[in-house]
Amino acid sequence: MYQDLWRKTICAAAVVLPLMSISCNRQSVGQKQPAVEEQNAGAARVGTTGTTAPAQPEAGTSSTATASDAATERDADAIKALEDMSNYLRTLKAIQVHATTSRDEVLVDGQNVTFSGTLDMIAERPNHLRAEVINDKQQRMYFDDGKTFSVWARRVNYYATIPAPPTLRELAEKLSDEYNVELPLADLFYWGDSKTTGDIVGAIDLGPAQVDGTTCEHYAFRQKGADWQVWIQQGNYPLPRKLVITTTTDPARPRYTSVMTWNLAPSFDDAAFTFEPPKDAKKIMFGRTPTGNSE
Amino acid sequence: MSRPMVGKTGVVVIAVLLAGGTALVGQRGGGRGGGGHASRGAARTSVSHASPNVGGNRSANVDRSANVDRSANVNRNADVNRNVDVNRNVNRDVNFDRDIDVGRGYGVGDGCCYHPVARATAAAVTTAAVVGSAVNSIPSSCSAVSVDGLTYQQCGSTWYQPEFSGSAVTYVVVNPPR
Repeated sequence: MYQDLWRKTICAAAVVLPLMSISCNRQSVGQKQPAVEEQNAGAARVGTTGTTAPAQPEAGTSSTATASDAATERDADAIKALEDMSNYLRTLKAIQVHATTSRDEVLVDGQNVTFSGTLDMIAERPNHLRAEVINDKQQRMYFDDGKTFSVWARRVNYYATIPAPPTLRELAEKLSDEYNVELPLADLFYWGDSKTTGDIVGAIDLGPAQVDGTTCEHYAFRQKGADWQVWIQQGNYPLPRKLVITTTTDPARPRYTSVMTWNLAPSFDDAAFTFEPPKDAKKIMFGRTPTGNSE
Repeated sequence: MSRPMVGKTGVVVIAVLLAGGTALVGQRGGGRGGGGHASRGAARTSVSHASPNVGGNRSANVDRSANVDRSANVNRNADVNRNVDVNRNVNRDVNFDRDIDVGRGYGVGDGCCYHPVARATAAAVTTAAVVGSAVNSIPSSCSAVSVDGLTYQQCGSTWYQPEFSGSAVTYVVVNPPR
């Protein structure tokens, strides 16, 4: 019903705008398999040398706008898959996650450059966390022992602490709002805390996909400021195995990718969450955010 | 590269300021404050939490950067142009703000990072570093000093206070604590 209406609308538009008929036909043919091929406005080139044909013929360029409008489909099953994943995360008392990450940074001229890293994290409800982030630029350790959150910059050997809020979700919020610090894989703590699908305006299911040899279901979502994709493990353990976030507020559209390996029965003791500063480590402050105290 | 100095750098400054104001609305501060190198932002790493303050001002890469908002001389004096050029050079060298251990020196590029430029022209510029501005690395000649329980780095007559800007360590120029 909905799709019929949608198709009629597109076709009606196509009468007015002949160029769009291409897109309309493609939609009709590919109706059963949404979004994979027929709405594809282009793909990343795979080589840097030689001359390439234009990625898009003229007609393809004009159909791009159509495809992008049409893609704001909100598949209820995709939303449900996300909610099921969140519900499942909420049942986990303790997790251990290893992730490989890559993150684009945008130079002032709009060029994306990518930095890679790894993350190792143990988290226990409601407010125990130990995470180590090692990337091309930084080595950081984060601790939440339930009372104090600490961040330690290993190479320069500085650390800072703040009082820890009651839950990891609140910690993620506090760090983001007041200190401009991103808790690693913060989404896990939001997803594992409450419903977070309200902001999503587009949701599609792209079908099965392999992540590290495990069969997952590949979903793509759109919301204000971000297009993002998650690969959720099929079967009884619907865990997010891969996350790709495209920031859409910058025309360069930088991406963040994280591929996760999970251990649902981690071994640890409470000391793991407590930061013992090395003897020569120096305590410093968190910088004030512009909305915070003036200097 | 030959270029009309003022015009081009002016454009860069405007672009950076614009980026801070609008283009990076969704940019969640980058976790690491990217001061010093000419980066206008980074991919956000979370989809869940929309900060009430995401409008540019919260962007570590813009606000906390010595050469942009934090620097008192961006908008009003001639140092602006030189600073931006430094940034561009750094940019070309891809000399990003790694946590350069002060004991290991500068890392890449002798034109790096704003401060050495000020040093090179120290005879002419008496106040080399503006209080409140921040850099990502400091010269290896600096020495760590603890005053009243706070950690400083003293580099000649310039004093820095290291702090976390997001998850990045930056060095903020402060008045001499003693």
